[in-house]
Amino acid sequence: MSAGVTTQPAERRLSLLVTVLAFALPVIFVLVPLAIFLVYSFFSVDQGTIVYTPTLGNYVRFFTDPIFLPVFWNTIVLCVSVAVICILLAYPAAYFLTTLIGRWRYALLMLLLVPLLMSYVIKIYAIRSILGLNGFLNKALVAIGILQQPSTLFVFNMNAILLTLSLLLIPFAILPIFLSLERIPQTLLRASDDLGASGLQTFLRITLPLSLPGVASAASFVFVLAIGDFLTPQMVGGISGFTFGRILYSQFGTAYNWPFGAALSVALAIVVICAILIGERFGRSRGTSV
Amino acid sequence: MNDLPRPSTIFLAAITTLVAVLLYSPLFVPIVSSFFTISHGDVDWSSPTLSTYWALAENHDILTALRTTLIVGLCTVVLSVVSGTLLALYYHGRRSGRSILQFIIFLPFLMPPIISGLALLIFFREIGLERSLLTVVIGHTVFVLAIVYRTVLMRLQSMSRTLVEASYDLGATGWQTFWRIILPNLSSAMVGGAVLAFALSFDETMITILVTGTQSTLPVRLWAMMRLGFSPDINALVALILMFTVLLCVLAARFLIPRQMATERS
Repeated sequence: MSAGVTTQPAERRLSLLVTVLAFALPVIFVLVPLAIFLVYSFFSVDQGTIVYTPTLGNYVRFFTDPIFLPVFWNTIVLCVSVAVICILLAYPAAYFLTTLIGRWRYALLMLLLVPLLMSYVIKIYAIRSILGLNGFLNKALVAIGILQQPSTLFVFNMNAILLTLSLLLIPFAILPIFLSLERIPQTLLRASDDLGASGLQTFLRITLPLSLPGVASAASFVFVLAIGDFLTPQMVGGISGFTFGRILYSQFGTAYNWPFGAALSVALAIVVICAILIGERFGRSRGTSV
Repeated sequence: MNDLPRPSTIFLAAITTLVAVLLYSPLFVPIVSSFFTISHGDVDWSSPTLSTYWALAENHDILTALRTTLIVGLCTVVLSVVSGTLLALYYHGRRSGRSILQFIIFLPFLMPPIISGLALLIFFREIGLERSLLTVVIGHTVFVLAIVYRTVLMRLQSMSRTLVEASYDLGATGWQTFWRIILPNLSSAMVGGAVLAFALSFDETMITILVTGTQSTLPVRLWAMMRLGFSPDINALVALILMFTVLLCVLAARFLIPRQMATERS
């Protein structure tokens, strides 16, 4: 569209409009807000009003106050665990999908991805009711005889957040792993078979290494989504399930300390960027060259 | 890969079934309980009823929130499809500055929504724009733009250059080529992108919570209600929303998947 005949005035006007839009839109609505946000993290608050003098105070507070770093660290550990659980469940499922032939493969993939588009808030609510004291899980465990009486192990604590986030994010792990498994050339597997490798050997030496890039991007997806979420911890975490996202949110609501909240967000953003870069780095290393 | 030994196939199938059950249980629980009444926190399984659905029809809070959600969704779709398509047309086949601007477009989608939402919140405050449905629409558009952009750009890239060249050879102007050749070829990608944009906007909660004024969309309203625990008619709402989302999924798949798979094959 860039080349070709551009003599019509209407077309020239359109292309000018598009050019302006192409630059203005991302810059005004994405870059400028993020830049202002970053600048805000260097401001401070005095008696409910924002003081526009640059200071490193927010960052100093983040690193020195005994509250924030432990929660930050716990949240990272929590989200890594979520990623691990999701991959342990998603990998076999994705592998199973690639063993299916033709239409079934995509029908089942679709079936496993559809829950992604279902209302997030509603799913959290339903999971909370399943995990709750009167919930389905407790009733089932009591019925089987594993528990004597309903347990509070799964509701309003860190376990609840871990389980809920894992349940919500599994589809995000299935897709990248499935795509990387599907990309492995059948000829490699047949060659391995011809050379006398057992099914397990072929899996460990060929399939698994070649699918690791998919696993890496799946892990980074899930981690990023988990760490950015504050709805789930808020709804199923109770008082003991305090995550970084909730602290961050409270700075904008109840505490009304926007600059400090912005500084916390910058910390969160740095972790997210690292996770994305690591996922990219390992997600690209091998898979695509095959 | 079809000659797996039986035990491992059974193992994999079992895990896959488990995953499917895990994924669908939070969807089925509210649907099933929407047909029964709840007393003393326990579901009364003896008498199926539609009473929750009637109660829903009289819940004005929810209906207002639903209307707000639809308005926001439609505005978001129009804005994001128009600007996403224009951006895709602009960046397609252009090198200078493309990767940087493309990265910026994808930022709100990559960043946690809480960060995008807070950045917009401060931005609106600084430029003196009151929080309202307008700010919600802007927030949603910024968020879904990357999806529409990418969908249209992918179709554009898979489109054969010869079509455009043939059009010019036959004497069409650039304008005619755009309307008669390019746009019709992009239309299904645009519709697919629109459906995805609508689905994302329909469900967007975190950005909305931060940038909304007094009017709240459905997910925000539900979120506020759930913190207190809520009435059984919400189960009916859940059932209806889930049906609606399935419909959206089928639509999106219809417009996006078949052609893409066809182009991959050929």
